[in-house]
Amino acid sequence: MPIQPKFTPVLLAAAVLSVSLLAGCGGGTAGQTAPSAGDGKQAASAPVTLSFLHWRGEDVKSLNGLIEKFQQENPNIRVEMQTMPSDQYQSGAQAKLTDGSSGDVFASSPGAQFEALAKAGLFTDLTGESFLSNFNESLIGPGKKDGKQLAVPFQLVYNDPIYNVKLFEKYGLTPPKDWEGFLALCAKLKEAGVIPIAFAGADIGPGQFMNTMVMNNLPSDDAFVQVGEGKAKLTDEWWVKTLSQFKELNDKGYFQPNALGTKDAAAGALFIQEKAAMLASGSYQLAQNKKQNPNLEQKLLAPITVAADKAKYEGVHTSTFLLAVNSKSKHPAEAKKFIEFLSRKETAGTYANETGQNVTVKEVQYTSKELLAAGEWSSKKTIFQPRFTITNGEIQKAVTGSIQAVLGGKSPEDAAKEAQAIVDQQIKK
Amino acid sequence: MLINSLRRTLLLLYAAVIIIPLYIVLVSAFKTPGTFFAKPLSWPSPFTVENFTTMFQSQPMWRYFANSAGVTLGTVLLELLLGSMIAYAIARLGGKLGKGLFLLYLAGLIVPSQVNMLPIYALVHRLGWTDEHGGLILVTAALLLPLTVFLLTGFMGLLSKEILEAASIDGAGEWTLYTRFALPLSAPSLAAAAAFLFVMVWNDLLLPMLLLNGKSKLTLPLAMLQFRGEYVTDYPMLLTGVVVTSLPMALLFIFLQRFFVAGMTAGSLKG
Amino acid sequence: MRRSPVLWLFLLPGTLLYLVLFIYPTLSGMFYSFTDWDGVSPSYRMVGAANYKETLESIVFRKAFINNVKFMLVVVLFQTLLSLGLAMLLARNSRIHVLLRALYFFPTVLSSVSVGLIWSFVYDPSIGLLNLSLQKAGLESLALSWTGDAGLALYSIAAVQVWAHAGQMMIVFIAGLHSIPAELYEAARIDGGGRWQIFRKVTWPLLAPSATIVLAYTTIQSFKAFDLIFTMTDGGPNYATEILTTYIYHQAFGSYKFGSAAAGSMLFLILLSVLTALQFRALRADRVSY
Repeated sequence: MPIQPKFTPVLLAAAVLSVSLLAGCGGGTAGQTAPSAGDGKQAASAPVTLSFLHWRGEDVKSLNGLIEKFQQENPNIRVEMQTMPSDQYQSGAQAKLTDGSSGDVFASSPGAQFEALAKAGLFTDLTGESFLSNFNESLIGPGKKDGKQLAVPFQLVYNDPIYNVKLFEKYGLTPPKDWEGFLALCAKLKEAGVIPIAFAGADIGPGQFMNTMVMNNLPSDDAFVQVGEGKAKLTDEWWVKTLSQFKELNDKGYFQPNALGTKDAAAGALFIQEKAAMLASGSYQLAQNKKQNPNLEQKLLAPITVAADKAKYEGVHTSTFLLAVNSKSKHPAEAKKFIEFLSRKETAGTYANETGQNVTVKEVQYTSKELLAAGEWSSKKTIFQPRFTITNGEIQKAVTGSIQAVLGGKSPEDAAKEAQAIVDQQIKK
Repeated sequence: MLINSLRRTLLLLYAAVIIIPLYIVLVSAFKTPGTFFAKPLSWPSPFTVENFTTMFQSQPMWRYFANSAGVTLGTVLLELLLGSMIAYAIARLGGKLGKGLFLLYLAGLIVPSQVNMLPIYALVHRLGWTDEHGGLILVTAALLLPLTVFLLTGFMGLLSKEILEAASIDGAGEWTLYTRFALPLSAPSLAAAAAFLFVMVWNDLLLPMLLLNGKSKLTLPLAMLQFRGEYVTDYPMLLTGVVVTSLPMALLFIFLQRFFVAGMTAGSLKG
Repeated sequence: MRRSPVLWLFLLPGTLLYLVLFIYPTLSGMFYSFTDWDGVSPSYRMVGAANYKETLESIVFRKAFINNVKFMLVVVLFQTLLSLGLAMLLARNSRIHVLLRALYFFPTVLSSVSVGLIWSFVYDPSIGLLNLSLQKAGLESLALSWTGDAGLALYSIAAVQVWAHAGQMMIVFIAGLHSIPAELYEAARIDGGGRWQIFRKVTWPLLAPSATIVLAYTTIQSFKAFDLIFTMTDGGPNYATEILTTYIYHQAFGSYKFGSAAAGSMLFLILLSVLTALQFRALRADRVSY
């Protein structure tokens, strides 16, 4: 005899029912505030555990020391840190932040990520917090939106290529002031058998190097914003010019061979082994390089893509590692306390000197040569990283993609046209 | 003769294609960054175990091992229990119904995890299972069920119908049939499926990444991902991570090889 | 055959788990494809089929689709041929054959993150194993930009995919070969068939069940080859290795368009179902029963 006829529907119904029960009354909203598991235990002096989420795996050791200190000062607060590499951070953090389960304190990067998180209301407004006065006012703008300080950038990065000072001295070279000078410098290095520029074309290279390459070609600081609004185009003269200058560097062999297949680590290695004289990344890499080759003497320089008298900017800066308190956090007061602790000039100083990262905190004493080398850029005229003014992730990808296309042999005009076609689809809606 | 030497050459050539990259990775783990970049292909000299000692000193490696082992064992056991029960029922039901159920599970094989990772995360959080190895085990088990059912239904279908029929005529209930006949008879197949699942769970990255937070809870692949952040341009250290995370699987493979191999043939037996 | 209702209890726990933790999230993924949810905000609006229209028109989606089909065809073709060839060569159960089988199978037990890292290093143009060896062998002209050349990158990764999984498929074929009754070969030999004829008349038709498994598995696997591409090129250079899963990932997590990502994954799902169904049908048609 086959299955008993009434059994099937009953079971199915039971299954479906239990699904909907377990799934809760979720129905509509995706990120409902969840009933907190530990509500009862939070009374009085029970210790609070803060989750601190960020992507700087390199800084774990230094931050662990600082967290120890913080916990001594606040015996009732425990900080649990979790890091993910930045490419995983996007997906991992996104899921984790939306429900407040972790990341009471979390880091985000300016641009697309900051905008999306702000739109989602994940930031606790920090406007008026007293610790904000510890920061350099002019550097924490990227954490502001609609007049509110939603997050505070903690790190200061100069996204200018690094150069090997001793190699430059050996060949009697100094940072050039215009495009002709830069080409001549590269030619001289190449003649001497040195790779002029180590370029991680496969991953971070285009996104880093485009900033200094475009800074003086930009018709206005907000040109990329206008691209996103449809008021400017990538096929405009300024971007096509930038692409053709990339092409020029590539065609003349000023990048290492097969630059497009080179990843961050390998490009760094060429520079560290002193096979390449410049590394197209940024100040954040100085400390890592030094660690692996203590003989290195490094400084920053930016290619000036125009005539010396037309140059508006000397370099690029980014205030990044935006620290914020999750609006869904159950312990906002403790979370703020932790940010306050990090923002003290002693703490920030320890962090900076141990990790080799410049910070946005005022009056910090830098001790290492690398930090001082980057620090001297604070008096120069720098533009906020143009790439981060693009708030649409797909447009950002199209822009860096067009650089890869040109290095792969496309004409600047075609590459710009193709990228603009993708942009058009993005802004149409 | 010619054919034989051609055959031998081909086989050795392919063996080289497999071995050489693995060999280079292995020796690189015993190099310093300096010697690695200067002579990437040579034998490590000086030969150093510093990468390993640094890694074990600066990271709670044993903890990661224990986590990975716990999660993997738990998931595989649960998976085998649930999967074999379903497969048994499908095989016993047979006909259109069995086929329908089989298809319901088969459909799950093609769903890419990008489709449901965020909903899964949201659901797990609502259930309060975040950062619990138990929650991770349940979710992983659910996601692997299609594969397990696919593998085990093949095995169970092979069980001799006569034996089961005869036993059931003798009055044995389904539970008895399952525990006394079906499970023992398919033990080798279960072991094979276990080997197969073991690899998948041990190597899984996405789910642990989504569901675990605390450093004390991390599994090995997840920890290895963090090394990528911590040792940015330190290739030898990264490759040491590869060696360390792969080692348990490699050893297991060497000792339990036939189960691994049998696991692969499982699905094909039924055709 | 009598079927006891108790069998339903056998299905219950697993199926419940499957429905709650797999089917339900998948369906809610489907639901989000009709919304403009960004993946982080607490609210969203229903937008009807807009995401589907947008996705189908998207230049990047089309590129990803074409890349994916190319990737799949190359992997399916080479992986099937290679694994079949290896299986034929290693069919006899000699000691050295068993050893080689294990060796060829070994990459399967490595995680795809490890495989990706290993091969990123092999392919690196300046410090990589491949180009350095070619240079040493005096074959500099063959030292290409394996993952940097837009025309080559997809195939370089396809090769890694085959490297990692051919051994697995070889095992399936070997099992298939072993299930062919020896008498059939003898009969064919007595009839005076040559090697090729025996292969065509006996081996190949009787291998059809194994081939079904290999093809289905390889197709699904190559369509889902996310980890490998993610660790090696992340879809670059300039979308040259963007496939559907990386496209979906980038939509959801790079561009904060979860609704559109969900629409992309539904299209992906439909495509893969159709493909798998077609494959099973085609192979079932010429199957020989024995």
